[in-house]
Amino acid sequence: MRLIKSLFASMLCTGLAVVGSTAQEELMFPIGEGNFNWESYQEFSEMDLSGETISVFGPWLNQDKVFVDSVIAYFEAATGANVEYSGSDSFEQQIVIDTEAGSPPNIAVFPQPGLAKDLASKGLLVPLDGAIGDWVKENYAAGQSWVDLGTYPDENGENQLYGFFYKVDVKSLVWYVPENFEDAGYEVPTTMEELKALSDQIVADGETPWCIGLGSGGATGWPATDWVEDLMLRTQTPEVYDAWVDNSMKFNDPIVVSTIDEFGSFARNEDYVSGGSAAVASTDFRDSPKGMFTSPPQCYLHRQASFIPAFFPEGTEVGVDADFFYFPAFAGKDLGTPVLGGGTLFAITSDSPGTRAFIDFLSTPIAHEIWMAQSGFLTPHKGVNPDVYTDATLRNLNEILLGATTFRFDGSDLMPGPIGAGVFWTGMVDYVGGKEAQEVADEIQATWDAL
Amino acid sequence: MENIAGHKPALRWVVNISVIVLVLMWVIPTTGLLVSSFRDRDQISYTGWWKAPFQQEQNQIFRSQPPDTQFEADGEFILEGNIFEGEEGKVLAFGTSSRDPTRYQPNDIGEMSKSRTMVVDNDGNYRIASPEPHSGNRGVRIFATTSQPPKMTLENYAKVIFSEGLGQSFLNTFSVTIPATVIPILIAAFAAYALAWMEFPGKYILIACVVGLLVVPLQLTFIPLLRLHNTLGIGKEYLGIWLAHTGFGLPLAIYLLRNYIAGLPKEIIESARVDGATDFDIFRKIILQLSFPALASFAIFQFLWVWNDLLVATVFLGNNEDQLVMTGRLRELLGSRGGDWEILATSAFVSIAVPILVFFLLQKYLVRGLLAGSVKGG
Repeated sequence: MRLIKSLFASMLCTGLAVVGSTAQEELMFPIGEGNFNWESYQEFSEMDLSGETISVFGPWLNQDKVFVDSVIAYFEAATGANVEYSGSDSFEQQIVIDTEAGSPPNIAVFPQPGLAKDLASKGLLVPLDGAIGDWVKENYAAGQSWVDLGTYPDENGENQLYGFFYKVDVKSLVWYVPENFEDAGYEVPTTMEELKALSDQIVADGETPWCIGLGSGGATGWPATDWVEDLMLRTQTPEVYDAWVDNSMKFNDPIVVSTIDEFGSFARNEDYVSGGSAAVASTDFRDSPKGMFTSPPQCYLHRQASFIPAFFPEGTEVGVDADFFYFPAFAGKDLGTPVLGGGTLFAITSDSPGTRAFIDFLSTPIAHEIWMAQSGFLTPHKGVNPDVYTDATLRNLNEILLGATTFRFDGSDLMPGPIGAGVFWTGMVDYVGGKEAQEVADEIQATWDAL
Repeated sequence: MENIAGHKPALRWVVNISVIVLVLMWVIPTTGLLVSSFRDRDQISYTGWWKAPFQQEQNQIFRSQPPDTQFEADGEFILEGNIFEGEEGKVLAFGTSSRDPTRYQPNDIGEMSKSRTMVVDNDGNYRIASPEPHSGNRGVRIFATTSQPPKMTLENYAKVIFSEGLGQSFLNTFSVTIPATVIPILIAAFAAYALAWMEFPGKYILIACVVGLLVVPLQLTFIPLLRLHNTLGIGKEYLGIWLAHTGFGLPLAIYLLRNYIAGLPKEIIESARVDGATDFDIFRKIILQLSFPALASFAIFQFLWVWNDLLVATVFLGNNEDQLVMTGRLRELLGSRGGDWEILATSAFVSIAVPILVFFLLQKYLVRGLLAGSVKGG
């Protein structure tokens, strides 16, 4: 990085003219225009990587693939390298097969740290430069925690930095239709007490407050794990949450059981959920928000992460037709404003100079701003210009992230695979189906003990 | 005998009814998919496919023209337009609030907040009057129960094939399936002849090995095989998946064809030998001609299996545009468009079109080939 920076200082004046002419037509935003941090782009313009191919494999598909391709286009234009991104929604299985069989991509984009940790311990990932770690510490909000989330033991048990976080999701959101609130005269709640009072009010008005859907094919149950994590952060200290995630507090501890029951007070309350609690497990998470948009509305509230507008009915404009508020904390508990989130991390699975350069590129503000300017891309990068967000809604979203007194990563993504992507999911489905919280928690702990 | 004969009509009824029930069980869901694949997106979400040919009655939310189209008349500010925007339809009831979307009959005067009023007539023409100018930049929501004629469309197919990328995947699947069907048949036919009619030491051990290979689970071989491909430099390419499918298909192919070929009349082959035909002549001029049904039936098996395969393709082929097969694409659509029934129904139909075609064209060989192996063993 340092070398690049000194290069950049001497080349800046010549760089502008040269880059301006290359491959303009495929770039989303013309170089040098708008609120973007073009200086950070110019740093790369003098690097010549033509002829190098960098393969990137990740979980992003469709619209997200278009966005990531648009970011990649700038790297290609600057360096002449050829970056091939391919996405798959069976990423988790395929990356294991590919790395084990010896045909890995250059870079893998992990949707959760657990799997990256797994591969790192088998020696299938290549550590990042130490300089990147220092850079993240300085330039990311809560930098140390992002470094910690990307640091895993290698095959010899030594801690190394493997993961570079890029793109963050905020999960502590409740979505609603402002016009329905207006028609009914409801106010957006600012505390958990108010949220519960609002739910009761909606029931009293003869309507149904919540749409909850846990269905997700093979991953059925995961939306419930987000609920439990969010509620844990609102009823317990972050330390308790951390202890729960690394199992130093047992899964069948009374604290966890009562948190699961707290989730039950929403999902297992026949009056609270659209279709009754029986519909919770069988409704697909992609279909469940649609209930807010029917006439008459089947529900008024939907708790889901920042990605969910992709599954709203066609033509729904976020900020106008649908909006969100922060899933509030209890006023009665002095726990601040905790935020639950997730994030994707880039790790090197097959080393090359171009691959290193690409990771460096991701640390530039421009790599974040290009995506920010197109959709709900959240980032902890402090050097980006929030003015590139196209609307106020997205800025609000980033404000929730920045206003957090506590930020915790999705716990189920940090737990070992058989728990966080296995029995925790199925256990929550059983729980919603009527099984006792204690019984479910005991079973999950039993699986954890057997690992 | 007479007793049995006497029961025959009753038994036949049972058989006939079971057949009808089974056929219905298969045909009804398929019909549902077929109908849904032609329906309009909105109508699918409101009514079941069996109501597709009838008038569609549904509660819908429309939005009026934006406030910048308002005009002043008799001291009121008016927004006017038609909720159907050129499409056919009738309004049965309307409302001004999500709380009571069917409160008013057409032509009633609906009350709104800020002393505004809304009137919607039978044909969907609306008029929203307000003493104050309408503000904001969005239109007002109009809740209406409408009755619209059924909408059938080919748009779903165009969308799936061109913009969802199923068309490209369709071609990719063909590039996988055709060689992966032809190569194993070529190899298996030679092997089957040799194992059936040529004498050489270790023949029966070899046959036993082939039978033994039938029970090896192919999942077991993925990582070693992919590693081998990587060492050989094939990597994740079409050649790799052709070889993989060939390997996975060969044991069954050899076994089926050998049984069939061994059952051919000995006299023909012996008289050909007496006339001086070489093994290759016999194979080419006699065996291939006579075992066509078996070859065809195996071709159908292999074709359908490769066509529907997701697992092998996921492992041995990449994920990029030029390599993603149809099953892989469908899987992705399920993930990203899981709530869009019209896309899924249409995709399903595109993907089963070819297997259905193959089945109907080659149906008689399928049955003949299946029976062929069973009548006489080696």
